[in-house]
Amino acid sequence: MKKPELLAPAGDLERLKIALLYGADAVYIGGPALNLRANAINFTLEDIKEGCEFAHSLGKRVHVTVNIVLHNKEIDGIVEYLKELEKCNVDAIIVSDPAIINLALKHTNLEVHLSTQASTLNVEACKFFKNLGVKRIVLGREVSKEDIKEIMDNVDIEIETFIHGAMCSSYSGRCVLSNFFTARDANRGGCAQICRWDFNLLDENKNPLKGEKEFTFCTKDLSNLVNIKEICDMGISSLKIEGRMRSIYYIATVVGIYRKVIDTYYNDKDNFKYDEKLEKVLTRCANRDSISQFFNGNFGKESQYYNGRVEVSNQDFLGLVLDYKDGIVTLQQRNYFKKGDVVEFFGPNLDVFEYTINEVYDEDGNQIDIVRHPKQIVSFKVPKELHQFDMMRIK
Amino acid sequence: MKLLIMPNSYNQAESLIEHIDGIIVGLKDFSVNMPAYFSYDEVLDFINLIKKNNKQIFVALNKNMFNKDLKQLRKILIDLDELKINGILYYDISIVNIRKEEKLVTPLVWNQEHLTTNYLTSNFWYEQGAKYTMLSSEITLDEVKEIEEKAEAKLMLPIFGYLPMFVSRRHLVKNYLETFNLEDNSKINYIEKEGKVYAIIDDEHGTRAYSHKCLNGIVESLKLNIDYAVLNSFNISDKVFREVVFMYSVVNETNALEFKEKINEMIDTDLGFLYKETVYKVKK
Repeated sequence: MKKPELLAPAGDLERLKIALLYGADAVYIGGPALNLRANAINFTLEDIKEGCEFAHSLGKRVHVTVNIVLHNKEIDGIVEYLKELEKCNVDAIIVSDPAIINLALKHTNLEVHLSTQASTLNVEACKFFKNLGVKRIVLGREVSKEDIKEIMDNVDIEIETFIHGAMCSSYSGRCVLSNFFTARDANRGGCAQICRWDFNLLDENKNPLKGEKEFTFCTKDLSNLVNIKEICDMGISSLKIEGRMRSIYYIATVVGIYRKVIDTYYNDKDNFKYDEKLEKVLTRCANRDSISQFFNGNFGKESQYYNGRVEVSNQDFLGLVLDYKDGIVTLQQRNYFKKGDVVEFFGPNLDVFEYTINEVYDEDGNQIDIVRHPKQIVSFKVPKELHQFDMMRIK
Repeated sequence: MKLLIMPNSYNQAESLIEHIDGIIVGLKDFSVNMPAYFSYDEVLDFINLIKKNNKQIFVALNKNMFNKDLKQLRKILIDLDELKINGILYYDISIVNIRKEEKLVTPLVWNQEHLTTNYLTSNFWYEQGAKYTMLSSEITLDEVKEIEEKAEAKLMLPIFGYLPMFVSRRHLVKNYLETFNLEDNSKINYIEKEGKVYAIIDDEHGTRAYSHKCLNGIVESLKLNIDYAVLNSFNISDKVFREVVFMYSVVNETNALEFKEKINEMIDTDLGFLYKETVYKVKK
């Protein structure tokens, strides 16, 4: 069975590079128009070109989301925008609107993937989009493993599924809570995540039904690390990680762990053992609980998350390695740390190792005890060789 | 402009038949966001009623479909095709594909709720057999007017009723009750935030939530060239709905404002998004 593509999110060029260096086979990004993360930084066309050059130099791919729900005023200029993306050498576009798919297939040679926003959940819908000309379908998140298998048995098309990240509580495209509560259009990238608000639940006579915590639409996140062997054996083409607005630490950690587990399995399938330590690292870098969700039919009470917007702020990420020379690391601070702390270094080509910080120097060469300023540049001795984009975290 | 209603019962449809041009009914296990879900035999009764009165009938098969639904869905589509109904509302694209495979002729109604927001996509689905588009209730009057000019399909517009905000496969009310060991057998629940109350329903197909206020575009209905105005009876008493339908059936420039006020005295209404453009970019 061919190894599946590991597809990671990237909100900007830095995260694109981190995702690819930490083991993603491809990244998906939002361009300057028509994507569903209107409030992310997003890529300019120049960024996209640079990102594609970087990815292609590593033999990897860049997919660009064009998955907005169209309104009239966005129609003019679609073809020109698609042609610009083609000029940037993007490897695929991810589209939900069939009218845009039609335009892309008619006016460009772009490879077209159907976005999860289209909520494609069954064989017949997949057949329709295959006949339309899409190369790959990102299935709706509500499908079970049985649904996926049946689709793959009956439709000859690349299938992509989410394996990790936040979940919409609704079917994609069928939630406009944000429109009603904040006038921000969920289907055009303005989602205000009303699903995470608390509400009072009432009965049919409008009397309160009061639990220990308030009612919410919110669900736990998705994590399918524990199912990765089964997922690989199914022959799914691409495994997708959610989170174009996530930090570089989150992306490096999640991508790195899935990369490691997938590669370990393919290197020796007979002796593969699930490593619970990796799951713990994965759990620590998230800020909500996670569960395998619909893949194993888990959408009962165990899938709900009743802490509303109270999320654990993760401060594990201590610093990003900028340079390493003559046994000295130059590091950009990302969270408070101090002399004497026991930390871990990890990276794309680095076996995780522990280290106790002895002496720390600021940019002017002054010895300091505490590194407390955001993005402060510091240096200190580390005996093992490090590289740019390696990271330091709490032990 | 023709008036279509989504009735909550056969009796309601029968009692209003002389004031309307047609109905949209939901089929049990294949529809969502309808005021009631009828068995196939009950749908046949509606078809007889409608044909006897020379009106129009559309059947909503507008839920998200899974593989397990497809066999029965195919049979229903074939059976309905023989009954010469006016159209089938679809959300899931499986319906478009089955219709094509089986060479069925019943027109489709593109009814992807919040996605039916522009003329280009409407024209795409028109070519695939959707001779009607049910427009989203989150677009403005100006957007509706532009779609009127540029879309090939006949257009339907929700003009009265509580608006759908959320559809999930998850059982959000049931999960909450189970998590906190609460008992409740309500057929409809509500959620409350800052004094505003929203209907929420959790049944075997998952959870749906609806707007706080009831859309009432009776004045606006006169400004549009829409082919069909759609009135939804969900969570509205028979008495109020009857009066509302009557007013919509005789509304004109002279009585529109008076009717608007009368409806507002019976039920808390607003104009939805007809004059309220949503935003999506909140940063510069």
